[in-house]
Amino acid sequence: MIVSWNWLTQYVPLAMSREELEHRLMMSGLNHEGTETVGDDLAIDLEVTSNRPDCLGHIGVAREIAVLWDEKLTIPPAKPKEAGPPVNKLVRVRIDCPELCFRYTARVVRGVKIGPSPDWMVRRLATLGIAPINNVVDISNYVLMECGQPLHTFDFAKLAGGQIIVREPSPGETIEAIDHKTYRLEPGTCVIADAKYPVAIGGVMGGAVTEISDRTTDILVEAAEFDPLAIRGAARGLNLHSDSSYRFERRVDPGNIDWASRRCCELILELAGGTLAGGVVDVGPAAPARKTVVLRLAQIPRVLGIDVPAAEVRKILTALGNVETRADAKRVEVIPPSWRRDLTREIDLIEEVARIHGYDRIPQDVGVPMVASARRPEDRVMEKVRGVLVALGYDEAMTLSVVDDATSAAMSPWTDAAPLVSRTPVIRGADRLRRSLIPSLLAARRTNQALANPEAELFEIAKVYLPRGKELPNERRMLALTSGRSFHQVKGAIEAVLAALDPAAQIEAVPAELPLLAPERSCQLELAGRVLGFLGEISAEGLKQFELRQNTTVAELATDELLRIARLIPRFAPLPAYPGLSRDLNLVVDETVRWADVAATVRTHCEPYFEHLQYVDTYRDPKRLGPGKKSLLMALALRWRDGTLTNQEADRVRDEIVAACRAEHGAELRA
Amino acid sequence: MALKDFLTVLDALIEQATAAFATAADAEALEAARVEFLGAKSGRLKAVQKDLGGVDKADKPAAGKRFNEVKQDLEALLAAATARLSGGGSTKSAEAAFDPTVPGARARLGHLHPITQTIAELCDIMGRLGFTVAEGPEVEDLWHNFEALNIPLEHPARDPLDNFYLATAAAGAGVPTGEGQWLLRSQTSTVQIRVMERTKPPVRIISLGRVYRPDTPDATHFPMFHQIEGLLVDRHVTMADLKSILHLFASSFFEDDVQVRFRPSFFPFTEPSVEVDMSWEGRWIEFGGAGMVDPNVLSAVGYDPDEVTGLAFGLGIERICARRHGIPDIREFFKNDVRFLQQF
Repeated sequence: MIVSWNWLTQYVPLAMSREELEHRLMMSGLNHEGTETVGDDLAIDLEVTSNRPDCLGHIGVAREIAVLWDEKLTIPPAKPKEAGPPVNKLVRVRIDCPELCFRYTARVVRGVKIGPSPDWMVRRLATLGIAPINNVVDISNYVLMECGQPLHTFDFAKLAGGQIIVREPSPGETIEAIDHKTYRLEPGTCVIADAKYPVAIGGVMGGAVTEISDRTTDILVEAAEFDPLAIRGAARGLNLHSDSSYRFERRVDPGNIDWASRRCCELILELAGGTLAGGVVDVGPAAPARKTVVLRLAQIPRVLGIDVPAAEVRKILTALGNVETRADAKRVEVIPPSWRRDLTREIDLIEEVARIHGYDRIPQDVGVPMVASARRPEDRVMEKVRGVLVALGYDEAMTLSVVDDATSAAMSPWTDAAPLVSRTPVIRGADRLRRSLIPSLLAARRTNQALANPEAELFEIAKVYLPRGKELPNERRMLALTSGRSFHQVKGAIEAVLAALDPAAQIEAVPAELPLLAPERSCQLELAGRVLGFLGEISAEGLKQFELRQNTTVAELATDELLRIARLIPRFAPLPAYPGLSRDLNLVVDETVRWADVAATVRTHCEPYFEHLQYVDTYRDPKRLGPGKKSLLMALALRWRDGTLTNQEADRVRDEIVAACRAEHGAELRA
Repeated sequence: MALKDFLTVLDALIEQATAAFATAADAEALEAARVEFLGAKSGRLKAVQKDLGGVDKADKPAAGKRFNEVKQDLEALLAAATARLSGGGSTKSAEAAFDPTVPGARARLGHLHPITQTIAELCDIMGRLGFTVAEGPEVEDLWHNFEALNIPLEHPARDPLDNFYLATAAAGAGVPTGEGQWLLRSQTSTVQIRVMERTKPPVRIISLGRVYRPDTPDATHFPMFHQIEGLLVDRHVTMADLKSILHLFASSFFEDDVQVRFRPSFFPFTEPSVEVDMSWEGRWIEFGGAGMVDPNVLSAVGYDPDEVTGLAFGLGIERICARRHGIPDIREFFKNDVRFLQQF
């Protein structure tokens, strides 16, 4: 809302400086957006929150100023001289859709002379950025900006049948508006019609046919109240946003409709001449009487933390237009003014007292009681996970939760259900709530490739949205990685993450087939039989799909499984009392034999001396080992808890292991 | 001899000596260069020293000063060349020389996303002030995103153009125009409702996470961003507590005694509602919104507004993170350019 400094002085003295005015208005609820000089006037732009439509006119802002500076507010009485026949002999008004139009008033001025507005009015409107059109149209704009009540003026001679019917449009009905565009009127729109056709889109825009022209002599002045939701729908649907629709959407002052109509007629008589028909046609119920609101004075310190003297409380409320009906030592009862629909409860009055009394009086150094607070296990676990990944050279990415159809369809390892869909894309085509982070990270990798960044080692911790039918989706937090490193390097990173949470955690790789991943170089990861996640190298087709030039390894782990195994407070284990021994093993096996199976055999045959088995390398040499053979190199650490392990015993264990591996896996010890 | 001529001779000398010492390939060549320039009997510097006597008396101090400088430079050049040929001072010039100036073998470190770092900092501070982190779903129902937060059906905040409603699974429903059953939450206040619904007062939490609002991406807007919101509900909680908590919070975050200012504002779920400004580096900056929990919200979760009061505050993490690190465009947060990520 732009207000003119000069205009405001009509209602309230402005003895303060411009800066002081801007500052105090800002500190009491009208945020200052900026001020510009227009001629000898100032255009002060104030932000008006949606609960304060009363400040969408100069009088409302002037009222705030009057309250803040304890000045008198002067409002024009608006008592135009009536002459000639009563208006209800000239025009009939009917509301067919009372749910869309709550109230409609009409006055008629006859014999006006259309011409330019006087300079003072042109200047005031210019300060607000409103161009002059003619005296009658300018007056309706002027009164709108004076009090916040939109008005419409019709060329009365063009209204068929001298009739106003407020109704919904009939099917297929259209109107040519004053912008000379034709609009199709949808059901639910409030239409102002004469006996035959629509003449205005109620509260949104007038029609071309009944527009005020140079030849207009008789005028019907409309002051009405429309349903805010209908206005919003019509303004949005037709993409016609105006000063009028803006105010109707926020609701006008029902107690001011008639004043605005009288004020408009008064100015027409003054600036355009003519005679005003007697009385008013006023259709629709009067606004219900406002209910009393009780303010218990003890509630002020209870909510604000400061005392405000009762006398000041009463003064503030009264100055704002509340009518005090009762007051004693404990309570004040008031009837709020018609222009303050936002005041219906005790807490609303407390806020009024607070903002006028001044929030700067509330201290910022009261002692707030201390209480214990603990970090959540998930936050502590995720901090550990992040720490490990960062140390291993992975940068943390953050990608959008919603992806496009192709990205969504690329991979969904956690559910077969179709993704949830947003009705409007969150960004360029992205309307699918993602079921995996991997496609998003692959896209981020592609971005880095396009930027010629040599390395893009990325991880992200974020939710996926797994549909559950009628229930809200299962939002599982995932940890995903994309890397230019090998399968085994990424697997090593995952093992390091697990070891940081539980050194004893044993990860198992289980065959799995997943889209995007090369089948022979990917697997499902399990922890004690529960699915932890997936790991694999992107297949050639997958790389092509994401336009990636370099080999890429990805993984996705469910963080709830990480949380399950995490030992945030590790327990002490006694350190060994006796020395251990190590034995290296070099077992030649068929290519198809898997490390995990050999390792399991080794472990079972070391008891009770098993301490640690380390994989060292896989060696292949068709000439020495023979075709289809490989050699598994491993280092075995043995230790006896109850005594010193002898070399002979260690050798015996080794021989037993070799024998077992020969029996179970066809392994031969390589010399 | 004129001073100018004398200086010219010196300049030529130092230039030639620099070249000679630098190009000396072995100790023999270096010795030859030493004799040529610094030889005690017939070195060229010695010869120049004789010219010094012929310089005009008035110019002598300047000439002598320059002569001494050149002499020191030549000696330094000789020392450097000697060191070079002997391998960093070692006398065994044939051995591979250890060079401590070669960069260390540095592992590539990853970096946490700046948003994560800011969240950690904010949670850390709020944790010290006794607030515990709470989370909730990002896909929400109308009750938690609107109704319980005192945002009734006719409220403009529920407009489909201002929210990401989800399409209903029901086939043949046509193109829906009104509200959906679910939506991507537009604020983290939803979490506060969920916590209050299952917890009796006192409640002292911070809720944080991703929120979604239709916005065309630009330097200061993105349709997805992060919010952090604090909530304290108990007996005897006042606006003075709100201001004091924000004062402690801001003073911790900015590591300074920051002043807090309230400007009246409007949010459906708080009353009174305020915008919070903080004085930082000599000016007021917008920090976020705050207020006292609206009695309707307390009632909606089954609390008695005559028993307890609540304070609440919220702020956008991207904005505070961008300001903290001087990031001019919040779209950078979601582009994931590693050159960006590696800066934090």
